[in-house]
Amino acid sequence: MNCTEFQEILSEFFEGGSNDEQKAHLQACPICSGLVADLDLIAREARQLQEFNEPSPRVWNSIEIALRREGLIRERQRGPSLVPPVTRRWHLAWLVPVATVVLITFGILVYQRGPREPQSVAQAPAAVSAPVANLQTSKAPLNVNNEDQQLLEAVGSRSPAVQAQYASNLQNVNAYIRDAEASAQADPNDEEAQQVVMDAYEQRATVYEMALDRSLP
Amino acid sequence: MARAQRAQLVSIVILATAICAAAEVRKEFRFTVRPRAAISITNQYGPISVRPSIGSQVIVVAILHSDKVEIDHDQNGNRVDILSHLLSETTAETGRVDYEVMVPADASVTLRSTTGLLRAEGLHGDVILEGSQANVEVHDISNAHVHVKTLNGLVTLSNIRNGHVEITSVGGNVVLNSVSGPHVQVNSTSGKIRYDGDFGNGGEYYLASHTGDIEASAPSDASIDVTARSVRGKVENDFPLEPKHTPFAVKAGSAFAGTMNKAASSVRLFSFSGKIHLKKR
Repeated sequence: MNCTEFQEILSEFFEGGSNDEQKAHLQACPICSGLVADLDLIAREARQLQEFNEPSPRVWNSIEIALRREGLIRERQRGPSLVPPVTRRWHLAWLVPVATVVLITFGILVYQRGPREPQSVAQAPAAVSAPVANLQTSKAPLNVNNEDQQLLEAVGSRSPAVQAQYASNLQNVNAYIRDAEASAQADPNDEEAQQVVMDAYEQRATVYEMALDRSLP
Repeated sequence: MARAQRAQLVSIVILATAICAAAEVRKEFRFTVRPRAAISITNQYGPISVRPSIGSQVIVVAILHSDKVEIDHDQNGNRVDILSHLLSETTAETGRVDYEVMVPADASVTLRSTTGLLRAEGLHGDVILEGSQANVEVHDISNAHVHVKTLNGLVTLSNIRNGHVEITSVGGNVVLNSVSGPHVQVNSTSGKIRYDGDFGNGGEYYLASHTGDIEASAPSDASIDVTARSVRGKVENDFPLEPKHTPFAVKAGSAFAGTMNKAASSVRLFSFSGKIHLKKR
């Protein structure tokens, strides 16, 4: 069993159903055992939450007295006070496991979405992609089209004459980045190739810097 | 009849010259600064030329080519800021300002322009020059940082001694004549790089271009530890180098590495598809 398979059956695991294979994975895998520990903590805190949020009977009495003094309660109700009867409070007890399940489900969803977050951040159009010499991150395709398009539109609105020059420069620096990353991937131990990746991104940053410089047209 | 026509022509020329002269306005500003002042000039259209002055005066002479542009100037302590302020509906012609500036030689200077020539000479303070289409010329600078950024302008540096030189040129060619320093770095996407000098005595030189050719000329007594690589282009070497170990596989025709004399300076030349030539002068 791997982590993905284990995380898919997390809900059942918390409902008490676990087999030997799952237990063995949990013992061997620090990531999944950490996740289970976190979710278990959330579940315990959720149970205590209900107790903490329940006001004491004195609070209810004080509210009732204040409301009567203000004349907002004119007729005495059948019950002696606004304090909910014990039986009614027990009826609300079903909320505790429901809240626990909701919190666990939420936790699982957040955990599973975790690794995808940086991708969506990297696709933010306003920012220039940071220099990345890390080969793992360079495997992701360079999402430059939207960014470049926005930049060219901004340049064109200020100075249409130079828009073509910026387009050509962007095309060239993007080719530079592709070559540099391919070269670095071909030989991860080649320090100079890593440096060239930085150089290529620096070139792109320069194009953006010049284009977005508001003090110049 | 011919005399009358000639007289008319001369009158028109005189009138046109007078109109042009009337449209140009000369302004002069003077600032007194302390040692190592910081001078910044931003000029959208038009050249900026900076030379050393005697004493502690910054003298700015600006030729405004129309009334569509103003000069904003400000001095805060030891910092002087000059800005060409474009008014509405300004073009490259009407917004043009030509600057002639004299600064104390130890001042650090920042010049920025889009189209005009940026020129600095005779200084020993830091020089920072930026311009998208502007050509850049830097001469006779010593013991200072020289940082240049340009998109397509030609960059020419000559007689830079003991410099910390960083040039980023996306598409413009870069020419270095007698440039030495502890650190000389040129990075370009498609510009050609030409170096002509002796690589000093104990510096680091890194010249890289994605598609541009790199040509470095040095005397036979240059003291260098050189590495040259072109991924898809050719490399040529005129020097008898002592072989040395490299962290990459040296493929004949696309890379070479070796040392010469005492190998005092490190020289790295890198291109993807440009040709690299280490020439003997």
